[in-house]
Amino acid sequence: MADENATAVLDRVNEPPAQTWNRLRANDITLTVPKISRKGDVYFALPRLFSRIECGMGEKVTSWVTSQAADARYVEVPAYTVREEPIVVAIDADKGEVADTGVMVRAGAAASIVVAAGGTDGAAGTSASLLRVVAEEGAHVTITEIVGVGPSQQHLESVGVSADDDARVEVRQYALGGGTVALGAAVSLSGDRAHANVSLRYFADGEDRLDVNHVVRQRGKGTIAHVRENGILDGAAEKALRATIDLVHGARGSKGDESESVLVFGDDVVNKTVPVILCDEDDVQGNHGATIGTVGPEQMDYLADRGLSRADAEALFVRALFEDAIINAPEAHSHDVAVRQAERVLGAEVAHDFDAGAQLAEDEEVQGCPC
Amino acid sequence: MSEEQRRTQVADVDRSLYNFTKSEEGYERYADGLTPDIVRAISAKKDEPQWMLDLRLKALDEYHRRPMAANWGPSIAGLDLDHISTYVSPKTKQASSWDDVPADIKDTFERLGIPEAERESLAGVGAQYDSEIVYHNMREEVAKQGVVYTTIEDALHNPTWEPVVHEYFGTLIPMTDHKFAALHYAVWSGGSFVYVPAGVSLDYPLQSYFRLNAQGAGQFEHTLIIVEPGANLHFIEGCSAPKYYEANLHAGAVELFVKDGAHLRYSTIENWSKNMYNLNTKRATVDADAKMEWVSGSFGSHVSYLYPTTILAGDRSSCEFTGITFSGATQDLDTGCKVILNGRDTTASVSTKSISKDGGVNTFRSSVVVGRRADNARCTVSCQSLMLDNISRSDTIPAMDVRNPTASVGHEATIGRISDDTILYLMSRGCSEQEARTLVVNGFANPVSKELPMEYAVEMNNLIKLEMEGAIG
Repeated sequence: MADENATAVLDRVNEPPAQTWNRLRANDITLTVPKISRKGDVYFALPRLFSRIECGMGEKVTSWVTSQAADARYVEVPAYTVREEPIVVAIDADKGEVADTGVMVRAGAAASIVVAAGGTDGAAGTSASLLRVVAEEGAHVTITEIVGVGPSQQHLESVGVSADDDARVEVRQYALGGGTVALGAAVSLSGDRAHANVSLRYFADGEDRLDVNHVVRQRGKGTIAHVRENGILDGAAEKALRATIDLVHGARGSKGDESESVLVFGDDVVNKTVPVILCDEDDVQGNHGATIGTVGPEQMDYLADRGLSRADAEALFVRALFEDAIINAPEAHSHDVAVRQAERVLGAEVAHDFDAGAQLAEDEEVQGCPC
Repeated sequence: MSEEQRRTQVADVDRSLYNFTKSEEGYERYADGLTPDIVRAISAKKDEPQWMLDLRLKALDEYHRRPMAANWGPSIAGLDLDHISTYVSPKTKQASSWDDVPADIKDTFERLGIPEAERESLAGVGAQYDSEIVYHNMREEVAKQGVVYTTIEDALHNPTWEPVVHEYFGTLIPMTDHKFAALHYAVWSGGSFVYVPAGVSLDYPLQSYFRLNAQGAGQFEHTLIIVEPGANLHFIEGCSAPKYYEANLHAGAVELFVKDGAHLRYSTIENWSKNMYNLNTKRATVDADAKMEWVSGSFGSHVSYLYPTTILAGDRSSCEFTGITFSGATQDLDTGCKVILNGRDTTASVSTKSISKDGGVNTFRSSVVVGRRADNARCTVSCQSLMLDNISRSDTIPAMDVRNPTASVGHEATIGRISDDTILYLMSRGCSEQEARTLVVNGFANPVSKELPMEYAVEMNNLIKLEMEGAIG
């Protein structure tokens, strides 16, 4: 029988491979999570090889999710096939759902994976998703994560990907708000010429807390990694982003770059960024950059000439972010999460406009552009 | 080699320049380890006021109480305080003429070029040998302007300056800052006290040079500089030590107070030997409309933890940090800087370079913290790292914490190696591969060396040349 009241403390969650000064309190996050005991139950476990995959939020979250998930789901995409329908992991935060998913994309295959975590304003609780992916030689994997939970809810989302020779991995994350949202993504480019694109777009306002850890390990020769984060912080939101490019010894000819752009709108925002490059090889290129600020004076002048106030301009940036999330939501669950969060932040009318726009874009894609 | 090519080369360096030792015979050397008796003995020897002894003993407790951070930087497992003497002093009194300095010590500083630099381009010089200042002098015309440049010990015995030291000492770097700050306050000895009155601008720099000659010893000098409103000072710090096969420790502290509208440039070339643990702490607080400039070259030491900190407390205050770190074989140097922007309309600019070769490890760390009231704060951080082989390592770990919506903070970092095309191009013009690499590295370091006084720029280029020897094959 489950004991819903018991809790566990997970410390050093989202800890990056290299840390900064502890007094900055940017090295990790500590989370209190429910500890559900299901004594005597037997659950399906993923094949052992998945336990070797490094996940973004760290071992403690992996252990917690595997012990809490009602079941584990394993999906295999056969070699040299294209899976048309996305593999969907739908998390209902209102029910405190926890999912453990492993996906094996065999050589030369292509697959799309969607993680959609949504909740409503009223309910409190913790939800989580653990996604581990193996992309074999020449495989192509696209992972889309859309997270928007209620202000009293907490969501953990940990991703680990291992990419073999010539594999391509795309991770697109949209963090659209929620009481506490912790995202971690670790991509190991183990094979030669493996390629990773990791992107995150985020919005946090009110008392939202967003904590992100991105790690790309470039182990193979000639690997390429692009990591892009950009977002908007308003109200008294607190965000910590750690992004690490690790150019491992032997990764000759590899290139890794990371950049973050943050717009800060709220007076009480706390924005922490720790972009790290670890380099143990000389024949590589590593770059990172970060810009943190508000809407620039030149942008403001341009917009003011067109009759927009600062508040209008800021709203425009927020709308653009949500519109992007809705347009890029690949299926119904993720689409619903994005629209629901847009409604919460921007109002139902605006969200409906986006929805209609997204539908129009989809129709045009199907029918071909009429122009 | 043509005349033009010769001009691009740095003159050969005599390796013995830094790596020579003098006998410790007759020196006063306290027992290894760290005990209240040793701390009391240091304080008694300096005939200190009671408050300073109390501060030392409290710091000793703090040192023993405080653990090392488990997740911090390069290992210092080889540093055993039970085998370090915290106080070693030559049997001599502080002199104001080089003729009064014992011959072997005078010879040391002459080989390091200190008296010559004093004659040519300095307003004053302090020279510390192991735990004590052995020479201190300042030009008469500078003293007439009201500038005070003396040792902390002398300032403590001067009724005019003792209250000033009491007011400022240990306030910017508290003993609770970290474990080695506590150690420093327990056993500090030597260093400089500088006071520049309001509106006074020094045409020439002041310089302190720290030489650690003793084997298995520590150096814990304390530098306290107060630049009053509208004043201007350039202070130079140089450090070196001969190489031994047991650990030496440097845990100095530098506290800089830059008042309204004042300007302070603090230049350092650290060339410790490669058995040195350099765990130094430097901090400046900058008031309204004032400016702080750091120019820092880190070449030596086995392990370094060095992150000069600037607190931009006053509105419209600013700081620039320009630094270079060169890490070669057996070296693991963890360097960088911290900037805290608290005033309105403050600006900070950080530009650093690092070079790794022969298995050396460089870690650049920075933190930029923008406080809630720092409206319109601006900060840029740029970090470039050069890898000269595939057995070395270079990491960059910047951190930014921004709490004001009107602030603008930018960071960029690049890591890479010298391209083959560049080497090929230079070799096609008659350079050997080593000359080509040295040329590129000197060019890479040029933005730092051009910020240094000429003799230090030459020394830095010589150090690069010295480090680059044998870089090929």
